[in-house]
Amino acid sequence: MLALRLTRAARPAVQLRRLLVAAASAGTGLLLLSSLGHALAHPEAADAAALRLAWCAAPLAATVYLALAVARTDPGTRPRPGLSAVGLGPARLMAVSALTTALSCSLGSLLALLFFLHLRGDLTGLPFDGAAAGLLAAGLPLPVPAAVTLLTVLPVTATAAVAVALRPRDPRPPARTVRRFGRFGALGGPAGPETFGAYGRFGIRLPSAPGDGRGVAAGNSRGVAAGDGRTAAAGEGRTATAAAAALLETDGDRPAPESAPEPPVPDIRAGSPAGLPWGVALVTAGLAAQAYAGRSAPDLAVLLGWLLTGVGLVLAGPGLTHLCGRLLQAGRPGVLRLLAGRGLMAEAARIGRPLGVVCTVASAGCALTALSGGPAPAFGPLSALGALVVGGATLGTLLTSAVEARQYRAGTTAALLRLGARPALLRGAAALRAAVLPALFGPLVLVIAALSALPLSR
Amino acid sequence: MEAPPDNDVLWARSLHFTHRDGSPGLAGISLGVRQGEILAVNGPRGSGKTTLLRCLSGLLPVRSGEVWFNSSPLHTLGPAARERLCRERFGWIDPEPVLVPELSVWENAALPMMLRGAGRRRAKVSALEWLKRLDVGDRARCRPRALRHAERQRVAIARALAPGPEVLFADEPTAPLHHADRTQVLRTLATAARSHGITVVLATHDPDTAALADRTVALLDGRRVHTVHLPDVPDAEGRAACSLSV
Repeated sequence: MLALRLTRAARPAVQLRRLLVAAASAGTGLLLLSSLGHALAHPEAADAAALRLAWCAAPLAATVYLALAVARTDPGTRPRPGLSAVGLGPARLMAVSALTTALSCSLGSLLALLFFLHLRGDLTGLPFDGAAAGLLAAGLPLPVPAAVTLLTVLPVTATAAVAVALRPRDPRPPARTVRRFGRFGALGGPAGPETFGAYGRFGIRLPSAPGDGRGVAAGNSRGVAAGDGRTAAAGEGRTATAAAAALLETDGDRPAPESAPEPPVPDIRAGSPAGLPWGVALVTAGLAAQAYAGRSAPDLAVLLGWLLTGVGLVLAGPGLTHLCGRLLQAGRPGVLRLLAGRGLMAEAARIGRPLGVVCTVASAGCALTALSGGPAPAFGPLSALGALVVGGATLGTLLTSAVEARQYRAGTTAALLRLGARPALLRGAAALRAAVLPALFGPLVLVIAALSALPLSR
Repeated sequence: MEAPPDNDVLWARSLHFTHRDGSPGLAGISLGVRQGEILAVNGPRGSGKTTLLRCLSGLLPVRSGEVWFNSSPLHTLGPAARERLCRERFGWIDPEPVLVPELSVWENAALPMMLRGAGRRRAKVSALEWLKRLDVGDRARCRPRALRHAERQRVAIARALAPGPEVLFADEPTAPLHHADRTQVLRTLATAARSHGITVVLATHDPDTAALADRTVALLDGRRVHTVHLPDVPDAEGRAACSLSV
């Protein structure tokens, strides 16, 4: 009930996003049902029917991704202090969010069923009655359990995905109960990854050594000046807090330092996403697989190559977006480039992944168009519907993620406006951000599409 | 129309303000802020301190009443002119230090100067100087999230002071801090303002903070009062007379 009320009371933009989910879900449901119709009409060709059903996985995944992005952006289901006070904490809100998603997806599935029946000619009274009767096995009775099973796949998947993604998380790290022994029986492991021969290098175990500096920065030179026992204790400290605690323990005769230990200074590059090398490796592996497969038997290897390329692009998306931001603010940036570039770097994880998905879809579309020689004749109505659903859902996901990033930065924007930043400046920064991304990703898409199409077109 | 007195840099007369939902904000406040002084606006929560500061600094449009800044009327200006005045002449410190999270500390402090059109190098030099002065110079290359709350508040103060505003509005700058941090933040703020001749309007509910100022204006329920005689908070524990449950 509460989910319904929250759903009804939302603003038009939010309703539009939910309607987008419903439309994508309707398209996916229609594709699933049409594969069922094809299987009914051609019971002898089970392989082709299975292949058609397998191709429905792409629009299904795109729709679930869109539903997830919309649920994340939904302002009605964000934790709010007022609702927490009346007992609607994050867990209940997660349930509300999942229910809203189930609602819009079920609406879409219902529409798909109605439209399917209408196209088959079972429901009459509207234009296009039985327009696709031959395609959808109109003469045969529709197996109801099969249709219901196919139509519930999407709502169930989307609801489960939303519930898992928005589950309330414990902000505390899990407590480590097992006591680990390091090398040679020393307590605790090394603070960072050890390279070969680093263990016995001279000075590496001294607390002020640069290799161990992260752990003992708080202890600085006092740890060295003190006795051996303290040096050993501080040297093995894993964090600054542990080191400072050890210092305090053995430091009974000295007055305790007034201020708490300084938190470790985070690296400025800590925010950069880590997936870029993996993504590049996967993209090149996928392209290589396609190139080799093009010489001999095309089918499965080409598909595997495209899959690898797509996963690689999705993985590389955040890193490439971060790189875009970094390039944008390189040199001695003025305030416009600084705000635009740093904003892009901060939002790289949020924007980059959907952008990678859009790139994958776009490059696949480009390659297919190039292979088939022209856009129109090769695609039937169902392929066109599938392409429309996948493309629309991924684009919708990207735009929804942009909205999410904007919501996330609303506080910062307000602070900037209070500082006296002109709204035109902020709009310019946003436009610069939006212009730089296609400048990097557009050529990338074209190059990957050309490379994918190259072996097959020979 | 009467001209304001010469030594008042900021001057308000019978300022009324009603919030958009109809709740009363200010009810006829008149005050003058002299050049180079630290004026504390004192009063309990909900007495209209923040609203008064926002009206004086031009963040909120004044419906009825007058605000004059340097002998020019502020209440007749349009939004764009008020915004420019805010950017060029005034500084503002929030109760919470709202820094831009993706910029480093010195870039945050240099941001107002860069927004005014100053060059990057000059802005950086000035920002670093102020950060050093406020004892956060060694954290200049960190991101704001690596800093503690008091340090972030000092960065916010450096950001407000670095462009050299004529009037600095500080809205409860020490409210979420502990006593030790509070004293340090206030002392640095007062010292910097006095050494540079910056006029400060400081909203606070704490009488100890108000003691640091040259003058104090007491507010209660949107009105200026000269003697606040609030009843002491009685020890309510164990008193059955006021209980609602009987």
